[in-house]
Amino acid sequence: MRWTTPAAEELSYLRADPLLWEQELDARPEVAEAIERAAGLRAGRVYWRSEHDHLYALELADLGRGRPSMAMVYGFWDRFEPRPPEHEIDADLLAFSLWVAEVGGLGPEDVAKVAERAGIVTAWPEGSVVRTPEDRFAELPGFAHLPRYVEVEGLRMAWVEQGSGDPILMLHGEPTWGYLYRHMIPPLAGAGRVIVPDLIGFGRSDKPLAENAYSIKSHVRWLRQFITTLDLRRITLVCQDWGGSLGLRALAEMPERFARLVAMNTGIAAGQSRGEAFLKWRRFSQRATHLDVGRLMSNTLKLRRPTPEEAAAYNAPFPSADYQTAALVFPRLVPVRPDHPGAYDNRMAIERLRTLDLPVLLVWGAEDAITAAGEAHLRSIFRHVSPTQWVAEAGHFIQEDAGQEVAARILEWMK
Amino acid sequence: MIRPKPPWLESLFPWKQKAIRVNGRNMAYIDEGDRAGRPVLLLSGNPTWGFLYRDFIGPLAEAGFRPIAPDWVGAGYSDHPRVDSALTMAHHIADLVSLMDQLRLRDFVIVGQDWGGPQGVGAALQRVERLGALVLMNTWLFTGLLSKFHLSPRPWRSWSAPLIGQFFMKRHKVLSQHGPSALSRRGMNPEEARAYHHVFDEPDSDHVVLTWPRTIPMVEGDRGWADMKSIEGRLGELKDVPTLLLWAPEDVVFPIETARRLKELMPWAEGPVEFDNASHFLQDDRGPDLARAVVEFLERRPGVRA
Repeated sequence: MRWTTPAAEELSYLRADPLLWEQELDARPEVAEAIERAAGLRAGRVYWRSEHDHLYALELADLGRGRPSMAMVYGFWDRFEPRPPEHEIDADLLAFSLWVAEVGGLGPEDVAKVAERAGIVTAWPEGSVVRTPEDRFAELPGFAHLPRYVEVEGLRMAWVEQGSGDPILMLHGEPTWGYLYRHMIPPLAGAGRVIVPDLIGFGRSDKPLAENAYSIKSHVRWLRQFITTLDLRRITLVCQDWGGSLGLRALAEMPERFARLVAMNTGIAAGQSRGEAFLKWRRFSQRATHLDVGRLMSNTLKLRRPTPEEAAAYNAPFPSADYQTAALVFPRLVPVRPDHPGAYDNRMAIERLRTLDLPVLLVWGAEDAITAAGEAHLRSIFRHVSPTQWVAEAGHFIQEDAGQEVAARILEWMK
Repeated sequence: MIRPKPPWLESLFPWKQKAIRVNGRNMAYIDEGDRAGRPVLLLSGNPTWGFLYRDFIGPLAEAGFRPIAPDWVGAGYSDHPRVDSALTMAHHIADLVSLMDQLRLRDFVIVGQDWGGPQGVGAALQRVERLGALVLMNTWLFTGLLSKFHLSPRPWRSWSAPLIGQFFMKRHKVLSQHGPSALSRRGMNPEEARAYHHVFDEPDSDHVVLTWPRTIPMVEGDRGWADMKSIEGRLGELKDVPTLLLWAPEDVVFPIETARRLKELMPWAEGPVEFDNASHFLQDDRGPDLARAVVEFLERRPGVRA
């Protein structure tokens, strides 16, 4: 097989600077298309042109005057390593390399072999991941659901479920866990199979210790694997905060699996500067070495105060600061500048979301400075948005402030 | 993980060298003082390594700080990859970000000279909420350069030119084997010169000394241009960060005009405080005096706290 690729000279001008490559590819669709063809993909179908994958694809096109060989896979690692700032995820590279191997008909075991030689981590090294002891979850007021587990990339991801029928996938955000949805699970379980996972790094899910294990990309990868492993289809996605930022990415990347979207106090940032309230939170969290989530909930809720037991339930996943890497990292992953890692991917995702036909409901706590702009932004993105359900006086954690009411409004809309 | 320290170096550089895996390569660093103290990252440039800061370690540790001196990948005791593309500004920045993350540094101080400036500030901008203070010495943070040195055909432009650069840098090792010792003002003894040079003993291990000059962004399109532009454009975000300029005006590479330009870009900076009898490698010529100035500054300006 010989791919149609641009000549090496044609690509050489792209090499000065990855950011310029991006612009060049946009300006010269024939080159982009040739590369996509070279990568063995149908143009426009596959979501490979994200963040840095296109660099690898360029390499592939450049080197690949034939089938990709392990030498080439090795070459990617050698040439583009170390990876650009805030994007130091071996798993990402490995996922891409496995894909290259698949395209080239190579065995995954060869990838593993070369990965080992290149020092690419294919498994979580001993001691690099912590798991919150089960007894921390012994006393959870109003959340008696039996935890279930699935493995994603060697990590245990937890979820609870209730009901049957089409899945209603409810995603929490920073710095909470599935417990946040406890008021909404029983009512919505009447309308479908409610599934509430804990994001990696939160709740009962495993928690890698390294900061660079967490990126938008890795969270999206884990979430997508959760969805495909459970083989969820016709999903009604209910999401808030980071649950939305990640859930919308999953929706953009695998829209065929989703039927409806309910977004609450969330947003998908694509490099715009954010309001003062967010920047304050970001600054605080980046200097903090520990978060008292119970206290944070208590300070943030608008309509009620958590009982001491409820506050303890929010702290349950975090016996110590060691367990909080994901929570401490999340705020700085929000793409606040156009060149922020993740901004490009999010921009691409937004373009994809604009083309979707699924019905969308926005339920918004009116008293939330951090996601205030998100409502209008999401309304501008989707084609079929019902009138926004404002919940007066409710704040950022709308599930906790007004869970019953929110569930009722969602049920009403689903009919 | 990293090459063992030879016995003759022990008395000159007694600190324990650690290694950390950054982006798939080993980065060597020393980490002294109180673990709970405020981290002070001591960042060198071309073609030096942590040794350049040996006069800083003791005073900073004694004052309660936590001096951390990493060697850039390609230099010092870190891995010396033979590929040019692993040694660009973006990669050095990514390496330092990885180190800062893994050591979980908060409220850290960047002390940077030469490439330690743009690479240190570039990394700090990735973790800008965690940056506490900034000390810059004979470095630059903008595209284009003001010194005659970088514009003159000899030595600079020929040193970094294709083929000729290879000849000077690789064959005759003008920087890796004769850099700091040739410029020294106070007169370096052979042991000290050897400490700088021995890290490039292995054949073809001095790739970085040529990559660095070739990354200097003089005109648009140069390698490093976009990275430096991005850093320059974001300097305003540091306006609340206590900043100090310490300068050796006798340096031909970064003359005092460079400091003035930095001062225009960062009007909140203190200084430049000038140190005479010092070359480009001012930490080597005036180490104890500079260390005193840094300690005094950090104690006087405790910085932005959460």
